[in-house]
Amino acid sequence: MPVYERGYRHWEDSGRRAAPAWWAIARRGIAEPIKSRRLLFLLVVAWVPAIVKGGILYFTFKMGELTRLLGGAWTDITAPGFHAFLKWQSPFVLIVLAIIGANLITKDRRENGLALYFSRPLGLVDYVAGKGAIIMFYYFTVTLFPIYALCIFGYLVTNGATGMEMLLEIPLRATAYCLLAGAVYALVLLAISAMMTRTAFSVMWWVLLVAGTDGLAEINALFDARLAVMGFPGQFLNAGTLFFGASPHLEGVTPVVSLAVVLLYAAVGWLLLRHRIRPVEVVS
Amino acid sequence: MPTEDTKVNRAAAGAIEVADLTFAYGVKPVLQGVSFTLEKRAIGLLGPNGSGKTTLLRALLGHLKVSRGSVRVLGSDMAVDPHGARRRIGWMPERGGILPAMSGVGMVAYLGELSGMPPTDAIQRSHEVLNYVGLADERYRKADTYSQGMRQRLKLAQALVHDPDWLFLDEPTSGLDPSGRVSLLELVRDLARAKGFGVILSTHLLADVRAVCEEILVLREGVLLDHGRVQAESSGDREAFIVEGFGDEQAFADRLAGAGAQVERQDRLWEVALPREAGARRILSAAADCGFALRRLEVKTETLEDLFFRLLDDDVAAAAGKEA
Repeated sequence: MPVYERGYRHWEDSGRRAAPAWWAIARRGIAEPIKSRRLLFLLVVAWVPAIVKGGILYFTFKMGELTRLLGGAWTDITAPGFHAFLKWQSPFVLIVLAIIGANLITKDRRENGLALYFSRPLGLVDYVAGKGAIIMFYYFTVTLFPIYALCIFGYLVTNGATGMEMLLEIPLRATAYCLLAGAVYALVLLAISAMMTRTAFSVMWWVLLVAGTDGLAEINALFDARLAVMGFPGQFLNAGTLFFGASPHLEGVTPVVSLAVVLLYAAVGWLLLRHRIRPVEVVS
Repeated sequence: MPTEDTKVNRAAAGAIEVADLTFAYGVKPVLQGVSFTLEKRAIGLLGPNGSGKTTLLRALLGHLKVSRGSVRVLGSDMAVDPHGARRRIGWMPERGGILPAMSGVGMVAYLGELSGMPPTDAIQRSHEVLNYVGLADERYRKADTYSQGMRQRLKLAQALVHDPDWLFLDEPTSGLDPSGRVSLLELVRDLARAKGFGVILSTHLLADVRAVCEEILVLREGVLLDHGRVQAESSGDREAFIVEGFGDEQAFADRLAGAGAQVERQDRLWEVALPREAGARRILSAAADCGFALRRLEVKTETLEDLFFRLLDDDVAAAAGKEA
């Protein structure tokens, strides 16, 4: 029997509501990587600092001054303590985002997938928002979600003694910071991904940008503290002190300057995306 | 009851209208003053490699900012509102077009969602179209492990998933073996002839056009050489004959030329092209007038291939004439 005799039925709209295109992209992009056991293991490892901090919080409350001898940010349940927690999470941010984000546009360019996307009723903003939401989700998984968990845990462990600071103020501060940082990380990583057709190169440029510039900035800062502005992740943490009310992360660079640099990264990322994401490009 | 006006609007809404379309990559012109109107039927977009076929399809999808002219698809101006029309267009690209790391059914459903379908409808519809294109048994396999034939079918399925009005197929039989090519063309023909889709089939394979299409557009170096019905174009306004005989060949040829025929000698045979209304009678009378004994007189049917190469030759000749 010829294959076409199997029949074709025209689609009748069921009347159910369709999701926006960006959400369809994000949902699919978030669900796919979770199937990887390696990534799941990495995400579990990324929660270890949060679990340790939670344990210390527990014993601090139960055993009082004894565990306070540990000192430092581990027992700090104020907003600056959570800013320090974000700093510990930086290596996980680097690795998880490299795994999730480096391939997002690269593979579409490699497989001429951009043209497929843009033959549908969606625009650049939908596409970038969908892909960006994937990166932001995994960024939140290693930064914001552990903070939420810690705040709820801390509130419960202290029987509400920490009051609204733990339940409302710190989560709000963390949400505002992570939304900004996540969005900018997403734009920059997507821009790198959009410039490459090989995932390995995207990963390499991402690692160079994050780890390379950070190392370079630290060395240069030995000679002139203002040169710390060269470090990519340092600017996020330094700008973050504005959100968490912590003391500046970098000497020689004010948090406001770092915030401006972060916004500049966002603008450059967006411009590159606008330039690179085109449906007519064919990569053979 | 629909008024005449609504009928006209509905007709226009099902059509593709291109007016004076001009586009260049940098300084290199790719489309030059292309104009046509298409109604929903199977249309072959013919032309040699590099003639601008894919660029024309991309202009119809609203992917290009054209330098001059306008493109209206299903009533939407593609420079202003391409999204409205794209809901009703299915596109099958020539290269790539497979989203890696997704199963066949997952990829088609995903692209259905991106076309504005609710997720449950998209997944249900994905199963249906994969069954239709003959990939039901392979639908759960990763799409990037598919063979070339399966990839082409998958690309057709993703173009169909949202049940569009028009299908734009860019070299759909590219890289297929003969049996794969035939079965894919059967599918396309079925969609165009029996299922009511408008199809634009871009190809450089004349046999594909002949198998599927009712109408052709012929492009060469970005210029639209011809637009018409396949049947009419194949026969043309002239009729050609193959003639063989004995006698004063020169006198016979002169007499035919005097009667408005184009005469060409091919070894022992003559190819004589006459206006269609003149028919064979003019050859017979020319032969009788000069005592030329006919041994053979048969109609030579102009194939699509003949037409295609004639159009290209005419264009080259016209260009040479202009230069001179």
